[in-house]
Amino acid sequence: MIRLLLIVLILWPAAAGAQAPDPFESGTLHDVRLYINSRDLQELRARYLEDVYVPADFEWRSIRVRNVGVRVRGLATRSAIKPGLRIDFNRYVEGQAFFGMAALVLDNALKDPSLIRERVSMAFIKRMGQPAPREAFGRVYINGVYEGLYAIVEVVDSAFLARELGDGLGYLFEHKYVDGFFGEFLGEDYAPYKLRFDAQTHRLESDYTLYAPIRELFREVNHDVDSTWRERVSWLIDLPQLMTHVAIETFLAEFDGFLGGSGMANFYLYRPLATNVHRVLAWDRDTTFQEVESPIFARASDNALMSRALRFADLRTLFLDVLQQCAVAASQDRWLEWEIYRSHELVRDAAYQDTARPFSVEEYEAAIAHLMSFAQRRPAFVLDEVAKAR
Amino acid sequence: MNTAFKHPVPRVNSDVRGVLVILFVLAAAAPASAQLPSLTAGDWLRIDFKARFQGDLRKSEAPIRGDEDGGIDIARRRIGIEGRAARVFEYEAEYELGLHQWRDVYLDYRQFTTVQVRAGMFKVPLGLEENTSATNLDFIYRTRISARLAPGRDRGVSVHGRILNDRVTYEGGVFRNDGENARPSNSARVFGNRTSAARVVAHPFRRSNSVWSSLQAGGAVTRSDVPLGFPAVRARTVFGASFFDSDVWVQGRRQRTGLEARWRPGRFSIQSEYIRLTDERRGQSVEDGDLSPLVAQGWYISGTYGLTRKRHRLGRIEASARYETLTFGSGNHSEEPSTSARADTVLGNSDRVTTVGVNWHVNRWLKLQANVIRESIARPSMGPMPGSVNFLSRAIRLQLSL
Repeated sequence: MIRLLLIVLILWPAAAGAQAPDPFESGTLHDVRLYINSRDLQELRARYLEDVYVPADFEWRSIRVRNVGVRVRGLATRSAIKPGLRIDFNRYVEGQAFFGMAALVLDNALKDPSLIRERVSMAFIKRMGQPAPREAFGRVYINGVYEGLYAIVEVVDSAFLARELGDGLGYLFEHKYVDGFFGEFLGEDYAPYKLRFDAQTHRLESDYTLYAPIRELFREVNHDVDSTWRERVSWLIDLPQLMTHVAIETFLAEFDGFLGGSGMANFYLYRPLATNVHRVLAWDRDTTFQEVESPIFARASDNALMSRALRFADLRTLFLDVLQQCAVAASQDRWLEWEIYRSHELVRDAAYQDTARPFSVEEYEAAIAHLMSFAQRRPAFVLDEVAKAR
Repeated sequence: MNTAFKHPVPRVNSDVRGVLVILFVLAAAAPASAQLPSLTAGDWLRIDFKARFQGDLRKSEAPIRGDEDGGIDIARRRIGIEGRAARVFEYEAEYELGLHQWRDVYLDYRQFTTVQVRAGMFKVPLGLEENTSATNLDFIYRTRISARLAPGRDRGVSVHGRILNDRVTYEGGVFRNDGENARPSNSARVFGNRTSAARVVAHPFRRSNSVWSSLQAGGAVTRSDVPLGFPAVRARTVFGASFFDSDVWVQGRRQRTGLEARWRPGRFSIQSEYIRLTDERRGQSVEDGDLSPLVAQGWYISGTYGLTRKRHRLGRIEASARYETLTFGSGNHSEEPSTSARADTVLGNSDRVTTVGVNWHVNRWLKLQANVIRESIARPSMGPMPGSVNFLSRAIRLQLSL
């Protein structure tokens, strides 16, 4: 009896401390296996420019989720050779989920020779206290064949919002890149707004309910009268949150974000129920870490919303404050350097074996070196720029 | 919401309604001698001309597929000939005027009772009700299993006959495909290739004078191969609305199995039937392996009771009732059901139909039928009325056979 008690006491802490498996455990290189009928796989690759869904089985560790829906995703990163994939667990089985998630993205990082920008950027956004999808690195196998190194990315949906914001009941829109949209008023018709802001929730509601607040946002953003601009726009978007979002993007030298060079890109708009105030959520960060000396006001003047907002002293101060906080957060304990180094160490072998990526091993190593240099030099540059701007 | 019943004025084609009324009056008043002519040439040739017209009035709480006439449908307009030739041959040729389609077109070599040979286009021998002429049906519409799972007509050759002192009838044949009921209206869907079929029916008390003399029971089977694709065999309600899309990859053997029984003692009759259709799904799993077969099956039991005796001045009136089911799904039920085209456990659906009705055989040419039909869809979200499990339909048929 005493022996039994001893065994229980010894095993108890181990059992209590055993962690539940986490598909976003950042210190692990995960293996994701997809099983797709060979005809479907052929079709998926042949029609990679379309959003064709095929059925598949999804396997992570010993967990196999049957009858999931898989389609190729992405805009500029669409590829038949190394397809970025969206996994919908509930497409063919009502209510099916994987660790509570209805869907998952396997980001092919096709524009990123380092393959780690996406996850490191999202980790930094989270470090700055902003909501960001959970991400991890994964080796993706389709029918047993290694497809390459991917970022496993949580989708932005109601469950994500509920966890990150404590409210997943509102209106969520994914910004779809159509053309160079810099925040100008697109007219009275809802069509151009529907084209650019794809409703992810409340899809069955009327265009008026869904899109009137977005139309009003861009009407007010482009309003001529400065004296009422702040008040009217504040009814439609959380301006301090926007300043924070863009400042983090700016610190990361993002070229394809809210202040994207070709127009606004890669973000979600979220509007809680019973309010018209939107907020911005980050998405797809594989074009960050561009130039170390990327100016802190780069392209801000091109964007109707940011150019007007930065005229207000408190918002401009907030923008600079967040930039400064980013610099501190990145350099403190060499956090950003370590994050890049740790990620590189984790994925290096898998990256070398990833023959589907459009970059050579030398380009991969050069990209990692650039990221390390960015992590070392960007904070100082930004702090200097912020000081000059104050 | 019952949109069909709420329609204030059905978009009735008044010409059609007028034709139906005139037909009814003429047929009811027709002298007993009135019938289409026959041509004969001694014992060597006989040609009987025949015609059949059916008009339906239909209403349903659920949508009616192809209901362009607002509830009125000319179900059949058929003309044809049948008869004998050279003493040993029988033949039939029937043409559907509405669809511009030949129906039964065959020649039957019937010199011997035990072995007879039929060639042409005729019904594949599976299904008691499906092999009953539309003229003689106890209900306006065939059961779901007869309309959807039984093969129907196709081109082929069969050997048939009666053996064991007429106590057993048999038919076995080979057909070009697996029948018109399985053929797609959408060319992207697949159906069976060359089909072999066999049916055996026992009439154990045929020679007795007991009440059991009309009892018959039998079974049938068909086999064919289905090429890769989505099957054309569809789940439809009585009025043709889909309740399961059959968007499931199949490839391999298609097999139908049928069991049947009928008993008609006096004024009372009862019959029942079961049909199961399975399609193999070879190489269709996500790992290119085999999946459990796609299964469609159903059964029915029906009965009639004569309310009037033979030669009654009002004609023959009988009450009828039927209960039937048709279910689509898969052979495996161990996993969470899925709508994936490659799911081992398919999220299926079923339709349970209860029909009650009255048949009025006004005279030998004219029949009036009225049916009330209640359908229940197990998963209404896949059916014609996503918010409602049950829905009612009504139909009246006027049939003129000459």
